[in-house]
Amino acid sequence: MTERDITVRGTPVRLLSGGSGPPLLYLHGAGGAGRWLAFQERLAERFSVYLPSHPGHGGAPAAEWIEHISDLAFHYLDFMDEQSLPRVHLVGASFGGWIAAEMATMASHRLHSLTLIDPVGIKVEGWIYPFLFAMELPDMVSTVFHNPAAALALAPRDMTSVDGLAEIYRERAALARVSWNPYLYDPLLRRRLGRITAPTLLCWGQHDRVAPHVCAEAWAKEIPGAVLRIFADSGHVPHLEEPEAVAAAIAEFAQAPEARS
Amino acid sequence: MKFYFFHLMPYRMEHDEPSSWVTLSNRHYDPEVGHTLYNQYLDQFEHAERLGWDGLCVNEHHQNCYGTMPSPNIMAAALARRTSRARLAILGNGLPLRENPLRIAEEIAMLDVVSGGRIISGFVRGIGPEYYSTAVNPTHSRDRFLEAAELIVRSWTEPGPFAFDGHFYRYPYVNPWPRPLQKPHPPIWCPSQGSTETVEWAARRRYPYLMVFTPLKRIAQIYGEYREACERFGYKASRYQLTVNLPIVVAENDDKARRIARENALWVYHVGLRATIPFWQPPGYLTEGSFRRAITNRPKLPTELSFEDLEEGGYIICGSPATVRDRLRVFSDELQAGIVCSGLPAPSHEATLDMMEMFAREVMPHFGEDAEVDETAGVGR
Repeated sequence: MTERDITVRGTPVRLLSGGSGPPLLYLHGAGGAGRWLAFQERLAERFSVYLPSHPGHGGAPAAEWIEHISDLAFHYLDFMDEQSLPRVHLVGASFGGWIAAEMATMASHRLHSLTLIDPVGIKVEGWIYPFLFAMELPDMVSTVFHNPAAALALAPRDMTSVDGLAEIYRERAALARVSWNPYLYDPLLRRRLGRITAPTLLCWGQHDRVAPHVCAEAWAKEIPGAVLRIFADSGHVPHLEEPEAVAAAIAEFAQAPEARS
Repeated sequence: MKFYFFHLMPYRMEHDEPSSWVTLSNRHYDPEVGHTLYNQYLDQFEHAERLGWDGLCVNEHHQNCYGTMPSPNIMAAALARRTSRARLAILGNGLPLRENPLRIAEEIAMLDVVSGGRIISGFVRGIGPEYYSTAVNPTHSRDRFLEAAELIVRSWTEPGPFAFDGHFYRYPYVNPWPRPLQKPHPPIWCPSQGSTETVEWAARRRYPYLMVFTPLKRIAQIYGEYREACERFGYKASRYQLTVNLPIVVAENDDKARRIARENALWVYHVGLRATIPFWQPPGYLTEGSFRRAITNRPKLPTELSFEDLEEGGYIICGSPATVRDRLRVFSDELQAGIVCSGLPAPSHEATLDMMEMFAREVMPHFGEDAEVDETAGVGR
């Protein structure tokens, strides 16, 4: 794995990349910036994995121009252009899944396949996402994780120094800019999901308390031909709770003929 | 020095919840009790005018037991008709919390016309928990504040109709009826905790700066920064641009005053201002620079302050009339503050009226040297 600082249309981006094979762009969720973990290791056995940090996340500089989730989607389409990646396997988890879904509604033709891991981003009747911005750490961990031990992988590197706390504050602000209200969704996204033509895999933790099964059903209904896989020992973040199984599911899905076209 | 009477209108109650803000269930609120409290509090305001206070202060807070005044303009309206002399200081309206800030321009203008030009219009951002209870994006707070303030002042001073096309607020027709009575507009005050950006913004516009519930050392420091900023903008700060808000408890002797103050202060700080860290620190409410400054010398949370911290730090004043006069001299002589806004928290309504009378009789006259000065002339407008 190598770490590089690049710019995308003038916006600084910290990029981790590694592995070999067809290109796979992974869009992380909250707390996942700069985390090259077992999940990425497994993917790197089959793909050239690109893991950029969202602006403002994980110590990356903030980008004040980002005001809406679609700004992030365009940012990653620009990223693909500048990295000379005409088509990728696109994988997004949680908040990153939301960005990935927005990109897929804009430019499905740029995707070999789309994998969404417990995404947020659409309004689902009968469900209101729990307000994570109001939670202190213990509540947040018990809401997000089925297996709390898996949370250690996302533990902030430094919660005591001014720099460390300022980085956490910057990341929370970057998230809030695009997701505070409406909270964790884009009212326009759901009706656009029908435009997605890329083969789509939905990976879902059976015990997700952020976006529970009723959300999975809504995504499966809206995206034409989407395949839904449930991970029985996971909460909201199966790529952290069952990394091997999720990586294997993605690799298998990407082998299917329609995803290799 | 002038005195303004301030009231939070608390709904005093004990509870074990982690926060008195946002999530404390309103099933604890008994409207029958509330009816009595509101009317007692309004009686206290009216009494304050009779006793000689120069101004009456109301303020805005949402979804909490600390202060039950979600709309300060409604309380100002009640007072506008029942008083005739005192300034009515609204400290203030939370500009970014409104989806339609032109409504604030309209309401303040209405109040100014009804009251015969007695309104002081505070502009505030609202505190952290209010971004949870109103769902306004805290990362927009500062920009919405600046834009709404510009819109409101223009709507009071430029003949309408005109179009306003901001980033957050857009109107093809800005043309509020009525216009305010005071010219060019009601004085604007800036109650704040001392962020560098706000000090600069207020000093540039001659808006009086009000330090709320802040330790003495920090007040001195911020006053210094404000005066220095005024000089950079080419003028000398009037003492009426430097104001402070702190509770005062006065009683026959120091011991009795301290007993009353302890009981009240511990409720205000340990119950009324109890909130979780996320509620105090909504993401993006501060610039990253301000956040870094705030945590570099992190002040104690309200619930971490002991009564001794509060008394010694100068968050509150309590004592016999002589002691209170001495402590107030620090504000009038050393800090050169022009206006002290204060609540006089006592254990009951009747005790509050008694305490107000003692303060009016034995403290206020000693600071009456500028009684005839119009403290709002040329300040903040």
